[in-house]
Amino acid sequence: MSAHTPREPSHLRSALQPREPRRPRRIAHFDLDSFFVAVERALDPSLIGKPVLVGHAGARGVVASASYEARKFGCHSAQPMAQALRLCPQAVVVMSGHDVYGKYSRQFHDILNQTSPVVESVGVDEAYVDLTGTGPEVGGAYAAAQDVRRRVREELGLVVSACIAGSRTVAKVGSDRAKPDGLLEVPVGQDAAFLAPLPIRDLPLVGPRLGEALQAVGVRTIGDAADLDARWLAAQFGKAGEALAQHARGIDHTPVRAGGREHRQISRENTFGQDVTEVEELRRVLQQHADRVGGDLRRQGRRARTVSIKVRWSDFTTLSRSRTLDRPVQATAAIVETARDLLDEVVRTEGLRPVRLLGVAVSNLVEDQVQLSLDDLGSGVAGATAADGSARPRVLRDEELDRAIDGLRARFGDRSVTRGL
Amino acid sequence: MRLSCQQEDLHRGLSAVSRAIPARTTLPITQHVLVEAADGQITLSATDAETIAITYTIQADVEESGSITMPSRLLADFVATLPRLPISMTLAERSRQVSLACARNTASIGGMDPDDFPPIPTVQGNTPISIEATRLRQGINQTHFAAATDDSRPVLTGVHFAFKDKQLRLAAADGFRLSVHTMDIESDVDRTAIVPARALGELGRLLQEVAGGDVEITFNQTGTQVQFDVGHARLIANLIQGTFPNYDQLIPATSGTRTEVNVSDFMRETRIASIFARDGSGIVRVVAVPGEGNDPGRLLITARAEEVGDNEGILDAVIEGQESKIAFNGRYLTDVLNVIDTDRVAIETTSPSSPGVLRPVGDDRFIHVVMPMFVQW
Repeated sequence: MSAHTPREPSHLRSALQPREPRRPRRIAHFDLDSFFVAVERALDPSLIGKPVLVGHAGARGVVASASYEARKFGCHSAQPMAQALRLCPQAVVVMSGHDVYGKYSRQFHDILNQTSPVVESVGVDEAYVDLTGTGPEVGGAYAAAQDVRRRVREELGLVVSACIAGSRTVAKVGSDRAKPDGLLEVPVGQDAAFLAPLPIRDLPLVGPRLGEALQAVGVRTIGDAADLDARWLAAQFGKAGEALAQHARGIDHTPVRAGGREHRQISRENTFGQDVTEVEELRRVLQQHADRVGGDLRRQGRRARTVSIKVRWSDFTTLSRSRTLDRPVQATAAIVETARDLLDEVVRTEGLRPVRLLGVAVSNLVEDQVQLSLDDLGSGVAGATAADGSARPRVLRDEELDRAIDGLRARFGDRSVTRGL
Repeated sequence: MRLSCQQEDLHRGLSAVSRAIPARTTLPITQHVLVEAADGQITLSATDAETIAITYTIQADVEESGSITMPSRLLADFVATLPRLPISMTLAERSRQVSLACARNTASIGGMDPDDFPPIPTVQGNTPISIEATRLRQGINQTHFAAATDDSRPVLTGVHFAFKDKQLRLAAADGFRLSVHTMDIESDVDRTAIVPARALGELGRLLQEVAGGDVEITFNQTGTQVQFDVGHARLIANLIQGTFPNYDQLIPATSGTRTEVNVSDFMRETRIASIFARDGSGIVRVVAVPGEGNDPGRLLITARAEEVGDNEGILDAVIEGQESKIAFNGRYLTDVLNVIDTDRVAIETTSPSSPGVLRPVGDDRFIHVVMPMFVQW
């Protein structure tokens, strides 16, 4: 009998073939330095060097962002404006509005999108970019990141700090260390060593409560946490402990998702300078909010299935009401209609008390597509028939009007067009 | 009661009437079928005691007349499995036990008092309207699928019957589509009624058995019930009260593009596209590109599955008018193509947000209007 040479089955053989080698992950986190203040300074250079508070100046305004000069006086974001001004009376208070910030944010993201196909936005002023495999012909990841920083400075007049590392967690921690105006690259394989000496609270995962609990067992640096047994951490702190054991060792396989997280909801709310007791005034404000929310939906090319409102009485009791619709909405008119119905419902069931805060939100966002209904033709057939004999469904006529208004506002500013009631 | 009948007759009758039986009920006797034997016949009846009742008559050797109710599911499943041989049935009046025997199989089934069975009305009063069964069946087939299945607007769960000028016009609409079928009839009766679509679905099945015969339609005096009588079977339905929308105004008078294609080719391409459209609300895009010179026009049927793949099918088409783009829910297209029995269909479109109209080429009895999906192109 001849010697039998065992052969692997063909599918195994191909699986055992060496493949294209994988390159190490290179994840960059870009974070604009004090974004709101920087935008204001880009628009008005005289603010450079002065303490600046971004937010509404009214009695109930809140600080959205404070410049480094103002932070020295103890000002910080989310602080009541009145308090911030007591700490730093010489501060300049500015608030250009969301459309201006949105424009800068979009241009920032445009630059990132031209750098890599895999960009995940995690806010107006920060994003993760997967630079894995950025070839030496463009100078590798470091040069690509420097190029982004140069373009943001030249084209937007803003400063962006960044860190390149092997994972999102390390890149995020690093971009904070890179500020102000810096770029840091953690060499391949050095992620754990880079994190080890940093305070445990620098890990994004570690909030105040977990931080205190860790301090209590003697964990001061991220390296201290990395030295602990992973199973013990998991037993002590559950899911957060499991993730902590990984992150502290610089391990985080979370991918960068192109396009970014889905916005789960879009909302607008305002705190009134003086409590409002007039239903008509509330209805008018609902319309303004709905218009902004609708504008965001249209810009993002989304529709919403759920519309909700939030009402805070003067005694700070807060209630919200929401309604999920058969057909996802995008038109301002449709959002207003539902929001007003919900307000009527609140007034009917709870009575009307002085209102401190009023908000409109949409959620359950879906793609911009909708099954048109025969009912849409109702008035269309009887009334407005276009020159080509086609009936325009009402829902689309509303949306066309919206697009026209959005277009005018984009060109001439938010206040260029207002809606009647 | 003592009788014998053929297994296949009883099987056919039981499967016809058992369709009236509700899936869930608070009235246990509606899960039963009423069996009445007399004069060489067995009459089987079932009802949901709400909207629909069906009776079905088969031949039998009745030695002793009588009646009983039996659990429909048990009896129907039992009879369906028996061999094609005579079945004998004997009722012990006092115990209400029915003994059944077929070949060497015997069974005993407990019945209930037939007097407790909900009465099956006989609708009479108005002169019956006679219609050719195959004709009515086609009309029902082409309309009842478009009726609404949810109860938010009850009138839309029915098919609108309009008798006028020796014509019967059937119409159904679920808010997104409208199906209208017009047929010539002998009778010159003038009336309208809304018949539950579910009842018509069952009627369609009964009519399959009546090749070439007529069906007699009778409305009761008060306009609350209708009876369809095909001789050996009757279906009685409670009419839906209310006003059916005026649908004529929903049928576009003109169109910008008329595209004519082969029905089975269009059906195939729509089905393929629907596979790719499963994730995205079933969106199938239909683009009509008119021909130039000697090149024929083309109809492109496409679909995309986000981040998975896409599909495009091309059909030769005769296109009049300008290029047209429109998107439909693929199921709405396959539903209507499924009931068109001509070789070719014309699709009339005007804009991506105006209704599309489908007409079988060479058959002006049927018209279907379907609302498109608004999508980003």
